[in-house]
Amino acid sequence: MSELELRQTTIDAEVAHAPRRRARAARLPRAGTIVAGAFVLFLLAATIVPGLLETQDPNQISPGEAFESPSLAHWFGTDESGRDVYSRVVAGTGTSLLIGVTATFIGLALGLVLGVLAGFGGRVVDYGVNRLVEVLFAFPGLLLALLVIVVYGPGPVTATIAVGLSTAPGYARIIRGQFVAIRSSQYVEAARVLGHSRGRVIARHVLPNALIPIFVLATLGVGQAIVWAAALSYLGLGAQPPAAEWGAMLAAGRTYLSVAWWMTVFPGLMIVGTTISTTVLGRALARRGRGDA
Amino acid sequence: MRAAPVTATTTKRRAGIIAGAVALVTTITLAGCQAAEPEASGDPVEGGTLVYASGDAEPTCLDPHVGGNYPQALIAGQFLESLVSRDESGEIIPWLAESWEPADDQLAWEFTLREGIEFTDGTPLDAEAVKVNVEHLKDPATQSSTGYLAMGKVESVEVVSDRVARFVLSAPDSALLESLAQPWTAIQSPAGIARGMDANCQAPVGTGPFIVDEWVKQDHVSLVRNDDYASAPADAAHTGPAYLEGIEWRFVPDSSTRYAALQGGQVDVIDNPQPDTIAATEGDDAFTWIDAPRPGASNRIELNSGQAPFDDERVREAFIRAVAVNDGIDSLFFGTAERSYSPLSSVEPLAHSDETLFETDVDAANTLLDEAGWTERDSDGTRMKDGARLTLRFPVSTNQSIPAEQSLFEQVQATAKEAGFEVVISLLDLSSWYGALFAHEYEIVSAPYTKVGPDVLRILYHSDSITPAPSGYFANLAQLDDPEVDALLTGAASTSDPAERAALYEQAQQLILGGHYLLPLYDQQNSFLLSANLQGARAMPTVSTPSFSDAWLID
Repeated sequence: MSELELRQTTIDAEVAHAPRRRARAARLPRAGTIVAGAFVLFLLAATIVPGLLETQDPNQISPGEAFESPSLAHWFGTDESGRDVYSRVVAGTGTSLLIGVTATFIGLALGLVLGVLAGFGGRVVDYGVNRLVEVLFAFPGLLLALLVIVVYGPGPVTATIAVGLSTAPGYARIIRGQFVAIRSSQYVEAARVLGHSRGRVIARHVLPNALIPIFVLATLGVGQAIVWAAALSYLGLGAQPPAAEWGAMLAAGRTYLSVAWWMTVFPGLMIVGTTISTTVLGRALARRGRGDA
Repeated sequence: MRAAPVTATTTKRRAGIIAGAVALVTTITLAGCQAAEPEASGDPVEGGTLVYASGDAEPTCLDPHVGGNYPQALIAGQFLESLVSRDESGEIIPWLAESWEPADDQLAWEFTLREGIEFTDGTPLDAEAVKVNVEHLKDPATQSSTGYLAMGKVESVEVVSDRVARFVLSAPDSALLESLAQPWTAIQSPAGIARGMDANCQAPVGTGPFIVDEWVKQDHVSLVRNDDYASAPADAAHTGPAYLEGIEWRFVPDSSTRYAALQGGQVDVIDNPQPDTIAATEGDDAFTWIDAPRPGASNRIELNSGQAPFDDERVREAFIRAVAVNDGIDSLFFGTAERSYSPLSSVEPLAHSDETLFETDVDAANTLLDEAGWTERDSDGTRMKDGARLTLRFPVSTNQSIPAEQSLFEQVQATAKEAGFEVVISLLDLSSWYGALFAHEYEIVSAPYTKVGPDVLRILYHSDSITPAPSGYFANLAQLDDPEVDALLTGAASTSDPAERAALYEQAQQLILGGHYLLPLYDQQNSFLLSANLQGARAMPTVSTPSFSDAWLID
């Protein structure tokens, strides 16, 4: 959650400070960024206060109203048990986002540790970490996640950890590259020449400069993590019934695709929308990062 | 594990599927869903390979003596045959045995085998072969469950002559013929069995119309025609070899994929079609629906009375009164399933139903729970007693429950919640599901049990079935331990008087239903969708597995 708030603050900061920093119109947030931001705001609201957005209890069944197409009473229609698909999509936001953000955080934290070790641990450590990351890379990410679930059993917590672990190697490699680049930069060299200790160089010069690109990377990663978590739930390995989770909803709706398209389309659109908006925001941040550098 | 690459592509294709789905919206009429009896038209045509797409779990062993579940029976019926069969009216009819006679004391039965029948490896079908098969079933090393239980009263088989085998029983068994009509007690080549379990699991040898040619794991089994076939059951449409050259038996777990393959003409038959699919093909001449509910038990939720909280009958009754399933069955099954109020399948003539025990009444449920001492409430509304929550663990086997049934279980979960039950559903693969049952980590469970005849009640509710079979499975999942029920079931299984048998089974069913040990849902759904160019296929009146020995393909 802190990650999300942090990102939100940055978005606000970006909007507030953009004109001051650079007067050029091109530096104003693009229309796409605003739409993406609004969508993310909706997701945040659905996560924090789902009750305000839901039109009814997402788990309330009503078999007599099963498979009703979208209407004023049920905006996204009803599912096979007569539950309101819109309310379930809203209720599922928290689960999906939480899995996505937490998994990204886990992946990033692990990647950061590995990346720092490789970037500053000396040649032997660098070699070891690189080989480890390469071995992990040899597995398709989802396979690694499935392995974790086979060992620790299905459930949202395992799914989160599994997705986090399987994204870590990617982060580790990028972060290492980042550090290696910064390590050989002139200002780090200058700090070394001034006789600063290695720890101080990392803390004062390297980390702050590496953080912004990593942060952008994380924003891009959230979307991917949500898709992966949805894929795991789709396989029945994530959220368990009756929990509303987008991937699980897709899996349930798939059975009735020919009868009730809305059961699949709306959770699917939410996954697509979330991935696109976090990516758009991430790219906006990336552009900013380049501009500032 | 092998699902991983599939998922990756599935997720990527999602957008495409969604776009396609919008175009594919079809309106479904629910009215008048009736099972169509396939009617053969025209003369049989020789040749062609039938492609069958099975949605049941792929067996781990093709020999139905080992373990003994329904997926094994589905395919074993193509290459193995039993001593007797059953016709549409429920009468036992000749198959590999042409006649049989019980002794006066009912403790021995002599079966006379058909003359001149050989297994497909050339071994003759004789009394010795029957003896070897029964010994194979009873040998703990075979790890038989279904066949082992069915042969419970058979002490030994004696070879009277080449063609006469005498079954010696420990007690009279009114269900012996029904037990022998099942695919799980089918007769295999002794030479085949002698190869050892691994070889026999890979390709059992029988007398049937087809022969196992090749088994490509996680893909398909190839069956070729037995050109010397001469042992069709007494009710077959023709004698002699099958018209089809072979069957390709594919395993296609995903129901939409199966249906798409049928629509596209890549396969000729699918099993386990989704209820909405059946409803969608209603009135379409391109498809034939064979509705063949399984015999034996109804599909039901068993309440584990062996441990808290269901060791208290009031709590069991409260659960049964709290849940509402009728509306759910109507909407989820699109009119293809009918609510059951009996422990037995509607195809069993001796099934006893009592609707009054299953009327939903949440107030009554609340009163019962208050009386039973579950008076406190947790913050989420779950009832509590002495600090324990009223939690019901519900392991669900995703291999044995179609999505509609899983949705129904979610509705059970939602309605039980209103009375203060917390139902925890875990969706498990088959082996994890067995694991949960063996460890008694369940309060409610739904487990199919198919057997010919009402003797299934003895297997499911006699206290002897609390003890696990050699496979580790114990069939008495309700943990019902009532000497009165035991006595009735033992009596019914021993009597040779049909009227007394019926009366005893009725009393036993009254006690079982009245004790609130189970919540019947509907018959074990079992149906097949056939493309219209497949003629002459039928479901066997024994355990409703498909038979293609009389089937042919037209172009």
